[in-house]
Amino acid sequence: MTSVPPRRLPAVAAALSLLCCLHGRTASAQHWPSEPVTLAGGRILVAGDVSATIGSSDPGWFTYTDYETSAIRRVRAGLTAEARVSQRLSLLAEIRAETGAGIRPYAWYVRLTPFESGMVDIQAGRIPPVFGTYARRSYPQDNPLIGDPLAYQYLTSVRPDAVPATADALLSMRGRGWLVNYPIGNDTAHNGVPVVAADRWDTGVEVRIGNPVLEGAVALTAGSLSHPLVRDDNGGGQVAGRVNWSPSPALTLGASAARGRFLSDAVREARPDLPVGRYHQQAVGVDAETSWGRWLLRGELISNSWRLPAIDEPRIAGPLRSVTGYLETKVRLRPGLYVAARGDQIRFSRIRGSGEPTTWDANVSRVELGIGYTIRRGVLVKASLLNHWRDGGNIRRSRLAAVQALFWF
Amino acid sequence: MSLRSAPRHVFALVAAVVGTAALARSGVGLAGENGTIRGQVDLRRTQVTLDTRPAAAALGASPRRPVELRPAVVYLDPAPGGALEGDGTARATMDQRDETFVPHVLAITVGTTVDFPNSDVTFHNVFSLSKTRRFDLGRYPRGRSKSVRFDRAGVVQVFCDIHSHMSAYILVFEHRYFAVTDSRGGYEIPGVPPGTYRLVAWHEGEVRATGRVVVPEAGGAIEANFVIR
Repeated sequence: MTSVPPRRLPAVAAALSLLCCLHGRTASAQHWPSEPVTLAGGRILVAGDVSATIGSSDPGWFTYTDYETSAIRRVRAGLTAEARVSQRLSLLAEIRAETGAGIRPYAWYVRLTPFESGMVDIQAGRIPPVFGTYARRSYPQDNPLIGDPLAYQYLTSVRPDAVPATADALLSMRGRGWLVNYPIGNDTAHNGVPVVAADRWDTGVEVRIGNPVLEGAVALTAGSLSHPLVRDDNGGGQVAGRVNWSPSPALTLGASAARGRFLSDAVREARPDLPVGRYHQQAVGVDAETSWGRWLLRGELISNSWRLPAIDEPRIAGPLRSVTGYLETKVRLRPGLYVAARGDQIRFSRIRGSGEPTTWDANVSRVELGIGYTIRRGVLVKASLLNHWRDGGNIRRSRLAAVQALFWF
Repeated sequence: MSLRSAPRHVFALVAAVVGTAALARSGVGLAGENGTIRGQVDLRRTQVTLDTRPAAAALGASPRRPVELRPAVVYLDPAPGGALEGDGTARATMDQRDETFVPHVLAITVGTTVDFPNSDVTFHNVFSLSKTRRFDLGRYPRGRSKSVRFDRAGVVQVFCDIHSHMSAYILVFEHRYFAVTDSRGGYEIPGVPPGTYRLVAWHEGEVRATGRVVVPEAGGAIEANFVIR
């Protein structure tokens, strides 16, 4: 995949503007578009979003999604298109441009609905993640706050392409997932991975069966939850599944699970004497959403583990576990105005190095408080305060502020 | 005429002069039979039902909606003086059915209360950010209804906070000289006093066409057609 420098961001903004103009010609000359653009008699739908986020400097790297980009300091533009080839077949694609990441295809897949009942869908290509909920609603217009949940953003000290030889080497990286350096595999310093990657999607096939009350989905993909791929890099894939139950409109409950080979072949090539074994990422998650009147309440809990090779003494014994969860609420105060809050934690299991047992990465807590105001349909401004606590790393306490302006249609 | 009663006569005379001037300005005759303005709005613009946004993040397809012809509203602007009638107790309904507002366009007079029942199995959250009337009804389930009274004239665009593809218009008038086109584009505005009027055709958020129409003293039916491209 070729990445285009961020200076190309204006090109995407121009493309969005052009679409807005086209839309204006066909639908509304006096109003900004607040609806998707329809072309070819409704066979092609195009939607877009542009968001600009300005936030405090984050020297503790709490909000970074990779080494280059902080979730509270970025400009992002996205274009999504759906071409309806027939009643049963659609092609979907999404491209994104983002400061630090350039322009990249975020999603591209074919969607087949084989039966008229709509009970079954098959999607193949670079597909939306089956696991959990947030990765599918990480669009700025779907996120009532500015930051992402820790499970989907916080960079741990685990890398798929490089591993520590000892437990001490792993522990030396506690609280610095933003730039991790291990001797085995790719020895270039690079950021670690979050538990679930929300800013990249995996490639494979997904089948969904069910109705709005009860549905299930299973996916076979090339990468893993924290390291989605376009091409397989380790001769193994991932299987992920999800069940979603809505016993009433006010309540939705979900459960997800995933297991996939995590370490890339680059690691084994670097150390052919690695202990025999399959080094997997494995996760289970539960989620719930309830709403009534002006209230919305959501939560997710994910238990995750990565298995890394135990190479030299003191060895990394057993899988590296983490438990992460958040609770999020949004309250609409008056037309266009809401407040939101999210409490978020990530906890890591203990391992023993040369010293006392300690968590293999530094535990982190975050409380984000935010407010949002819709100026008009499709134009939203948000402000957030993010408080962080971490029991390791150079910076253990951080208080950040951010403002985001968003336009979407 | 006694001196005591003089002021009352003066006021009556002034009122008559001002009223006559106003009527003359609006082109309305002082006497004569009311007429009916009727016609056709030919909507030649491509009519595509607002569908869901391209749901790239969904695990499956959402139901597709058929292409539909959305109605236009034809009204007099300005309207004959003293045209507003009613005691403010009028009611209208905008249903939420199959993730669609029904009707898509509702035209009412000032003081009307609109009920928004939810006929879907899912929640809806009706709201408007229009200056004419801002409201947010919150989420409520099937079988429940909430109401909003509209006390100012203007256009109100209505949305659902949960389903971004749901939208509708409510046009609030200070008079009764308006009509929503039927499925064939036809409309009829009855009981229009004699005079010369500006007739406006509105469609999907904008005034698309205007025309002049004369209702003769003898009343009768006057035809006025529009083509909206």
